[in-house]
Amino acid sequence: MGRLSFSDTRHLVTRTALGQELGGIKRLEGKTKEEAISILLKPGSLKTPPLPRLTPWANVNRMKMQSGLGKKRARKMMKTEGARLKRWWMLHLLKTKSPVNEHMTLFWHNHFTSSLEKVQQPKLMYLQNQLIRRHAMGNYRTLLHDMARDPAMLIYLDGNDNVKGSPNENFARELLELFTIGRGQYSESDIKTAAIAFTGWGVDRNRGVYKYDATKHDNKPIRFMGRNGTFSGDQIIDIILEKPRTAEFIAEKFWKEFISDAHPDPRVIKQWGTVFRKSNYNIKTLLSEVLNSDAFWSPKYKGTLTKSPVDLVVGTLRALPFPKLPDNELVHITELLGQDLFDPPTVKGWEGGKSWIDTQTLLVRTSLLTKLTRHSRASAKVQSYLPNITGEEVVNWLLPLAPVLPLPTTPGKRRMVRALILDPVFQLK
Amino acid sequence: MNRREFLQYTSLMPLAGMIPDAFAAGQRPGQIVVLVELKGGNDGLNTLIPFRDDNYHKARPSLRIKNPIPLKDNIAMNPYLKQLLPLWKEGNMAWIQGVGYSRPSRSHFHSIDIWETASTRNNEIRGWLSRVLPARHNAVNGIVLGDNNLGPMAGPSGSGVAMEDPKTFLRQTKYLNKKHYKPANASMAHMLNIQGQINITAEQLKRTYNGRRSSVRFPNSRFGRKLEQVSQMIVNGMDAPVYKVSLEGFDTHAGQVDQHNNLMNHLGGGLSAFSTAMKQAKLWDNVVVVTYSEFGRRVAQNNSGGTDHGSAAAHFAIGGRVRGGMYGKQPSLDPSKLYDGDLIHTVDFREVYATLAQRWWRRPNPWKAHRPIPFV
Repeated sequence: MGRLSFSDTRHLVTRTALGQELGGIKRLEGKTKEEAISILLKPGSLKTPPLPRLTPWANVNRMKMQSGLGKKRARKMMKTEGARLKRWWMLHLLKTKSPVNEHMTLFWHNHFTSSLEKVQQPKLMYLQNQLIRRHAMGNYRTLLHDMARDPAMLIYLDGNDNVKGSPNENFARELLELFTIGRGQYSESDIKTAAIAFTGWGVDRNRGVYKYDATKHDNKPIRFMGRNGTFSGDQIIDIILEKPRTAEFIAEKFWKEFISDAHPDPRVIKQWGTVFRKSNYNIKTLLSEVLNSDAFWSPKYKGTLTKSPVDLVVGTLRALPFPKLPDNELVHITELLGQDLFDPPTVKGWEGGKSWIDTQTLLVRTSLLTKLTRHSRASAKVQSYLPNITGEEVVNWLLPLAPVLPLPTTPGKRRMVRALILDPVFQLK
Repeated sequence: MNRREFLQYTSLMPLAGMIPDAFAAGQRPGQIVVLVELKGGNDGLNTLIPFRDDNYHKARPSLRIKNPIPLKDNIAMNPYLKQLLPLWKEGNMAWIQGVGYSRPSRSHFHSIDIWETASTRNNEIRGWLSRVLPARHNAVNGIVLGDNNLGPMAGPSGSGVAMEDPKTFLRQTKYLNKKHYKPANASMAHMLNIQGQINITAEQLKRTYNGRRSSVRFPNSRFGRKLEQVSQMIVNGMDAPVYKVSLEGFDTHAGQVDQHNNLMNHLGGGLSAFSTAMKQAKLWDNVVVVTYSEFGRRVAQNNSGGTDHGSAAAHFAIGGRVRGGMYGKQPSLDPSKLYDGDLIHTVDFREVYATLAQRWWRRPNPWKAHRPIPFV
C-alpha cells in the first residue's frame, strides 16, 4: 500500500479513536501507513475535566455507622456521586484531545473491570480510572502490578477479605481467567495457591489507599504453575508474565477490539504475542504491530465490527455538529445501550462485537439516531459544516461499506447525512 | 416498492390485515414456562435447609438459619420464603434437591454458560431452549424481561426478544427500519435478524399491552414489576411459550444474612403474587415457574460472614400442574463426603430441562443421557 486514501484513513481513525472526526482523518490522509500510525499513536495530553466533588470515605463511613437512616443516606449519596463521576467521564470522552489514548482507557476498563455497584466509592473508581489512563498506552506489566494493589480492584474482587487461614479466591481466579492467561492454562489448585500469595493485600478504606498487613499474609510454601516456593503476589504476577500464552491472550483481545469478531489466525496471534513479550509488554508496540498488520487492512474485515455504544454516541457527536444532549442523558443512553460506564455487567466486562446489538439495543440505537438527525435549526448546521466535501466523500466518511438502504433522490447534504446515519451500515466500523 | 421488496417486507412485518384470524385473536401457547434466574449463585443450603443436620450448623456458625419452616422430614425452607408456603401445602410446589453437574465450574460466567447452553464441554453457543423448541415463523419463542442477554434463548435460531419492559419496547419500535436489505457480512446479518424479530414481537405486544390488567398487587420492586409484566402478557394472549426474568444480587461473599433474606423475601413475594394472578385468570394449570442459578455456594461460611462460589443447590418449580414434593436427594454435608468443600450434585440440571421438554412440552428430549423427573 502506498499512501492512505480518504477511505483507508477513515478506517484507521474510526477503529482507533472515538468516531470519525473529519479533522482527524484529513490530518492523516495521503500519508504512508507507517507514518499515519506513528502520528496517531503519539502521546497526547491526558488532562481530564475537573473532578466533581466527592465526599471522603471517612465521612461516608461515619454516616453509615450512625444509624439505619444514615446508612440509607450514605447509599443515596454514593449513588448521586457515582452518577456525577459517570458524567465526568462522558464529558471527557466527548472533549478529549487524545481520543486514541481514551479508546485504550475504555479498553482496559473493560479488561481490568471494577464496578461502582460493588466498590461503592466513586473516589476509588476515579483513582482506578486515572491509573488506567496513565498506563493505557504504556506498559502492561506495570499496569497489572499496579492494578493488583489498586484499592477499587481490591474491594471489587474481595482482596480485602483474602487473609491468612481463610483465603478468598476471587481476585486470584480472575487474575488467571480474565486478566492474564485465560482458561485452560492453569488448574484450580493454582488459583488456591495464588490466593495464598496475595493474602494480606488490602485497603485502608478511610484513606483510600493500598495497605499491606504482614500479620494477615500467609507465608507458607506453595506450588504455583509447576514452581515451588514462598511467593509474594508480585512474584505470582511475574510467573504468569513469563508464559508466552499471557501475551497471546492479550493479543487475542486486541484482535477482537481492532480487527474482527471472527477467530484469529493462530499464527498471527503467536507473532503478536512474541512482539508484545519481547517489548517487555509495551502496549504501544503491540498496538502498532496490530495496526500495521495485513489483517487490519484486509478488505475482508472492513465494516465488520459493530460500533460500541460509546463509539456510536460519542463518536457521532464528536464527528458531527448535532445539538449536544445533556451529559446525564448521554450517560443514560449508553447505559440503555448496554455500556454503563464504571459499571460493567460482570467481571468479564462487556462482551462486545455482535452482541452489542440485540432486540433491546437496536431500538435504542435507532431512536437515538432518529432524534439526533431530526430537522432542527441545529441539525441544519451540518450543511454548512461540510463545505469542501463531495457527496461521495460524505458516504465514504460516514460509512465503512456501501449503504444497504436506498439513498434520497432529492439533493441536499443534510438529508443525505440523515439517510446515511440511519442506514444499518452506520452501526458498523 | 417493487414486488420483491414487498414480499420481503410482508414476511418480516405481519400487518394487522394480513394476519390469519387465530393469530390476530391472540393464540396463547398451551404450556408456558417462566424461568427465574437467581443471578450470582444462590446459596441453596440457606434456601432449602437440612436443619436437623449437625454438619449444617457446624459449617455455618453465624450464617445458619435458626427459624426455618419445616417442610418434610429433616428439610425446611427459608422463613423469608413463607409466602410460597400455601403453594407447598396445595401440592403445587416441587423442590429438586442437589441440582448441579460433574466437575463444576466456580466461575460465574463459565457456569452460567453451562447452565444456559446445557453443555459442560464449552462447545455450544445455542441456548438450551433453542434445542427444545423449533424456530417459529412470525412468532418468537420467548421474551426476556429486564436483561439484554437472551441466555437460554440465545443462538441463531433462538428467536427470543430481550427488553427492559414492554412500554419502552413499543415506544421505540416505531422508528425501526421495516425494509429488508442484503447483508454484506455476519454482523449485518445479525442486525437484520434482530430487526425481523422486533417487528414481529411489537405487533403482538401492542395487543397484549393494551389488554386487561390484573387486579393482583405485585410487590413494588424491580422483580415484582417484571413478573407483573409477564402476567399481563400471558393473560392477554401473547404468543410465546417462554418468559425469563431475573433476580440479582446472590453473589453473597460478605455480610450475607441480610442480603440473602431480603432476596428470599423478594422471590417469595413476587412469585406468590404471580401465582395468584395466574389462578385468577384460570391459567395456573398452563404455567410452570422454574428457578435456576449458576451454582450454589460453599458448605462452610467464609471469614467475611458470607459464602464463596460452590456447586450443587436446590431449585424449585411451581404451577397448577406441578406435582408437589421433594425430588432428588439432598447431598451429604458430611465433611468426608464433600468434594473440595463442596456438595456433590445428585441431580444433573439437564434432568430438569429434559422434564420440561418431554413431560411439559411433549417434545423430544435432546439430552438422552438424562431422564426426566416426574415433577410435572
